[in-house]
Amino acid sequence: MNNDLRSILDQQLQQQTRRHFFERCGIGVGAVALQQLLAQSGLGAFSETNPLAPKQPHFPPKAKRVIFLFMAGGPSQLDMLDYKPALNKLNGQPIPQSYVEGKRFAFMDSSHRINLLGTRRTFAQYGETGSWVSDLLPHTAKIVDDLTFIRTCKTDLFNHAPAKLFMNAGTGQFGRPSMGAWLTYGLGSECNDLPGFVVLQSGPRGPRGGAILWGSGMLPSTYQGVPLRNKGEPILNLTTPEQVTEEKQIEVIRAVRQLNSMRLEQTGDDEISTRINAYEMAYRMQSSAPDLMDTSDETQETLDLYGIKDPKESTFARNCLLARRLAERGVRFIQLYHTNWDHHGGPTENLEKHLPEISKEIDQPCAGLVKDLQRRGLLEDTIVIWGGEFGRTPMGEVRESTGRNHHIDAFTMWFAGGGFKPGVSYGETDEFGFGPIDQSVHVRDIHATVLHLLGLNHERLSVRSQGLDFRLTGVLPARVVREVLV
Amino acid sequence: MKDMPPLPRRSLIYALVGLWAFAGGASLSADDELRFNRDVRPLLSEYCLACHGFDATKREAGLRLDVREGAIEELDSGEVAIRPGKPEESELIKRILSHDEGSVMPPPETGKKLTQAQKETLLRWVREGAKYEPHWAFAKPEPQTPPADPRFAGDFGNPIDAFIHQKLDQRGLKPSSRAAAETLIRRVHLDLVGLPPTPAEVREFCDDYASRGLTAYRERVDKLLQSPHYGEKWGRWWLDQARYADSHGYSIDAPRSIWPYRDWVIQALNQDMPFDQFTVEQLAGDLLPKPTSSQMVATGFHRNTQINQEGGVDPEQFRIESVFDRVATTGTVFLGLTIGCAQCHNHKFDPITQKEYYQLFAFFNNQDEPEHTLFPDGIDPASLKKEREQTLRLLDDAIRPYESKLEEWEKGLAKEEQEKLPKPVKDALKVDSKKRNALQRATLFAAGISKNAQSEKTQSSIAELQDKVREIDRELSKGVNTLVLREKPEGRKTTVFIQGDFTRPDEPVQPGVPSILHAMSAEGREKYDRLDLAKWIVSPENPLTARVIVNRVWQVYFGKGIVETENDFGLQSAVPTHPELLDWLAVQFMKNGWSLKDLHRQIVCSDTYTRSSLVRDDLLDVDRDNYLLARQHRLRLDAELVRDVGLAASGLLSPKLGGAPVFPPIPDGVMTQGQVKREWKVSHGEDRYRRGVYTFIYRATPPPSLNVFDAPEGNSSCTRRNRSNTPLQALTLLNDAAFVEFAGALSKIIEKDGIEIAFQRCTSRKPTESELAVLRQLDPFSAARVLLNLDETLTRE
Repeated sequence: MNNDLRSILDQQLQQQTRRHFFERCGIGVGAVALQQLLAQSGLGAFSETNPLAPKQPHFPPKAKRVIFLFMAGGPSQLDMLDYKPALNKLNGQPIPQSYVEGKRFAFMDSSHRINLLGTRRTFAQYGETGSWVSDLLPHTAKIVDDLTFIRTCKTDLFNHAPAKLFMNAGTGQFGRPSMGAWLTYGLGSECNDLPGFVVLQSGPRGPRGGAILWGSGMLPSTYQGVPLRNKGEPILNLTTPEQVTEEKQIEVIRAVRQLNSMRLEQTGDDEISTRINAYEMAYRMQSSAPDLMDTSDETQETLDLYGIKDPKESTFARNCLLARRLAERGVRFIQLYHTNWDHHGGPTENLEKHLPEISKEIDQPCAGLVKDLQRRGLLEDTIVIWGGEFGRTPMGEVRESTGRNHHIDAFTMWFAGGGFKPGVSYGETDEFGFGPIDQSVHVRDIHATVLHLLGLNHERLSVRSQGLDFRLTGVLPARVVREVLV
Repeated sequence: MKDMPPLPRRSLIYALVGLWAFAGGASLSADDELRFNRDVRPLLSEYCLACHGFDATKREAGLRLDVREGAIEELDSGEVAIRPGKPEESELIKRILSHDEGSVMPPPETGKKLTQAQKETLLRWVREGAKYEPHWAFAKPEPQTPPADPRFAGDFGNPIDAFIHQKLDQRGLKPSSRAAAETLIRRVHLDLVGLPPTPAEVREFCDDYASRGLTAYRERVDKLLQSPHYGEKWGRWWLDQARYADSHGYSIDAPRSIWPYRDWVIQALNQDMPFDQFTVEQLAGDLLPKPTSSQMVATGFHRNTQINQEGGVDPEQFRIESVFDRVATTGTVFLGLTIGCAQCHNHKFDPITQKEYYQLFAFFNNQDEPEHTLFPDGIDPASLKKEREQTLRLLDDAIRPYESKLEEWEKGLAKEEQEKLPKPVKDALKVDSKKRNALQRATLFAAGISKNAQSEKTQSSIAELQDKVREIDRELSKGVNTLVLREKPEGRKTTVFIQGDFTRPDEPVQPGVPSILHAMSAEGREKYDRLDLAKWIVSPENPLTARVIVNRVWQVYFGKGIVETENDFGLQSAVPTHPELLDWLAVQFMKNGWSLKDLHRQIVCSDTYTRSSLVRDDLLDVDRDNYLLARQHRLRLDAELVRDVGLAASGLLSPKLGGAPVFPPIPDGVMTQGQVKREWKVSHGEDRYRRGVYTFIYRATPPPSLNVFDAPEGNSSCTRRNRSNTPLQALTLLNDAAFVEFAGALSKIIEKDGIEIAFQRCTSRKPTESELAVLRQLDPFSAARVLLNLDETLTRE
């Protein structure tokens, strides 16, 4: 937009603010009235000065939003989705040297082993597509025809925090925006009473890496992910302080607005209009976020679909339901972290006991989410991504019991909706599931593909910093994996 | 380029005609002299050099456009990119004007497109002879004479204004008038010490200013520069760049003790340590002759790298990561160069080869990373340790005669008796009798046999010795550890890493500096070390350091630098808005012995700094973003200052300086976000109300009220903060327990001193009648909350 047009718009905005103040801001308006008043002001929703106002993509998009089900720790694809009978046949024998020569792994010196480990799980083929799924995922098995599997995903880093960062930001370096931040930066938000990028967590601990995983890097913090909390208030500082009544809170917000509007008039600084907007959004969030979290309007049938036993209990299943509710409200990027998938064979992380437990925690909710989105017509323009920061080795690892080490050469992720071609399985791994036979799909390619579906060219979505154009996909080549798209 | 089909001749002619026809309305009028560095280089850099630049490995069609020789020579294809004076015979011009997708430059797949005006600039440049200039930032800043025209002199007689006024005058713009006295004093307080003036200070200044004018202002500036709070405000400016935080980072993110480095920075700034010395001590304090404790602490600068404590990591990998970070940070902070780009490949834009990158890397590849223990004044750890040893020896001697008795006693101890003994005795008994130290034996002696049969004298002398050791230990425990660097005597070998991958070493390299910059003076040294590098960085021959630093100080005062890309002065950098001023400031800075306080004084005592920040309609079209500085800027305060202003306005602020980081209240559930749940034990007493710079920063779970206002987490060097403006900030100011507490205190002030005083504590000015009317509708607590939420309270106007 040229400067002239912009300044005209901004002037209009300022006039609106003034008019609004002089004409409407009487004393003693109630909550409903205030909301109405905010809506009518034309400032509250999407004004020129709102950095989260929806923006045009580069080309018509297939998808409008993303739900990323992040299995933090690195799920074992070989026990869940990538069936390798040869592993069982050669169980206990060393993997041929040619596979591991020159490779580096985590835990190189200690528990790392080179003997192959067969899976204890039973695999079978499901759906019209005949996809192999293990007995760990009976519900996922029922929706395979709706999913797109990529079995040859590849990443560059094999320690948790750097690899998680890599999956989110396309680099292991700090200070770069994560995918959710890129998308809200590139597309804005279609939700005017919740943040554009929301993070939900479940499991025994937070994901390794913490807040940098949903950071905005060199982009303004407007675009960073906002964690929704399961306990206490859903967003930090969302709740009106205990000693303050709702009326008093409204009085305060209204007075802040009045005084800020006066200052806007005195100084002419646009930033004040942005702040006025921010307070209105904050106020709306105070009621919309609790509404979001209150699932009492969901039917028992829906709760059952996700496998939610107690809707008050904070579980991955409940987060999946919340993800759908967020998608319905137009939130751009919804990311669920579930820990702990780090099955090395330690006391609380082995393949026999703990992998089945955690698989059970996510299987029905994931399938339920896809089905629920589908029947509500949301799957069409919502991309669902399932996967971790890497996969696990075909070789076993021996600690207190058996497990597998981190593996970056080939691991499985699945995708659904938003323009992904259902019932496709892409990329094939070798007989042990160690490396790709063909069609390796790098994290960069995944990023390029997801952006593409959202109408963004990954080479054009960039931000200038330090004199350089930074992109989610970085400087190395990345390709849109068109073979898996509708 | 050579494989592409030739362009149809006719289309070129049309294109050229079109361009000439267009020439009248373009931004660069024919009267303006075309300047390579200002007008052409940015275009080449942005649109051409990634494929036709310095990096020979990525060069397409054998063409390089970063130097003239390359641009005008005949290519393998027989074509010539630029024939000076003959645009119609220049392949570059044909290509940029082409409408053919296959031959147009830049290629459509890059997503980059030259505008009509840009094409025209290139065309005119070629027509006028395609003259090149060396990149301004790689040539030493030359002394500048400020414009002498008396019309450009300001009230302060400050050369800064002459430069600024001249440029405004060239554009036919008039500067805004000076800001009101109360705006001025608040501005300069917030900018120099990061705290608002009290209403009494405002009153006093306004009276003084009314009678003595600028003299009153200058004196106020001098006073503020003497305040110890200056170091806190500007210390944070440096700590951002030093990527300071209080934990190790990555996923485990355990706490670390490196706050003595933070205090070192604050003190160094308060003492106005010359910036060259400030640099040398931080980069190489350990290599100075007989380094003092303080110089060791200073090396903490490069210990602010993260440490990955995750299971299964290769320590060498993360040691290398921290060296990468040190190289990148050194480049960004002191040189304003994106050296880190050359870690994996030759730099795409700047003349830095990958080999040169690893030559810089070699300076930082040779350190141990120990802890240094600091003791309060009056404690001499060396002599204490010596004394301790002596005392232990005496203790040993005193107990030795009773060893067999001790053994007897121990054997005769029944289980139940043992249970009843005090804990230290039990602990000593658990140790193998041969491995017990003198203290443990003394404990057993006291417990078991001192009562029977020994002379009182022996008893008391043993007890005395024991007490003495304990006393010494107590003194020694007062030491505080801090992370430092120490050069290894045996050098590590440094090689180039292929693709930046440390498992793929290539040719070995020695420490050295990029050839595009000034040479390192030899002085008969066989091999350079970090101290040489530090001295090279602050050498008067260095074209970058002084410019980079004055620019980064300037940006704090005006929202952006004279060079807007404050961390990139390379070929991709923004063209300086006032190049002569930048050089004048840089030369002046060095001439004044690298005094930062002089630099601050120079800037804030200017017409340009003291102008009103009100937005002017007449500027919106010509200079909307205020590059020319006809007015000041309203700037939202930095995160720490948002807290500090709240504390100061509500009267809660503790002025205590320095010391271990503190734990003010944070919302529940913050610390559970990282992999490891960290404890956050809320500080009591005045530590609850300390300035934001002292808040403990966990990198993985930074304090939300700082984070939400764009405080960096210390993951990488931050040379410029974002200034976002978000709903989460509103929620923080409205609902965060800390701000509610501030409001409670401020409401008491309202009850006591009235709403007008409270308003002044927040904004430094008197409220208008209509503002008062709004506030008077509210009870004191609500009014206090409103005041702390005002945009104006969070803004330096």
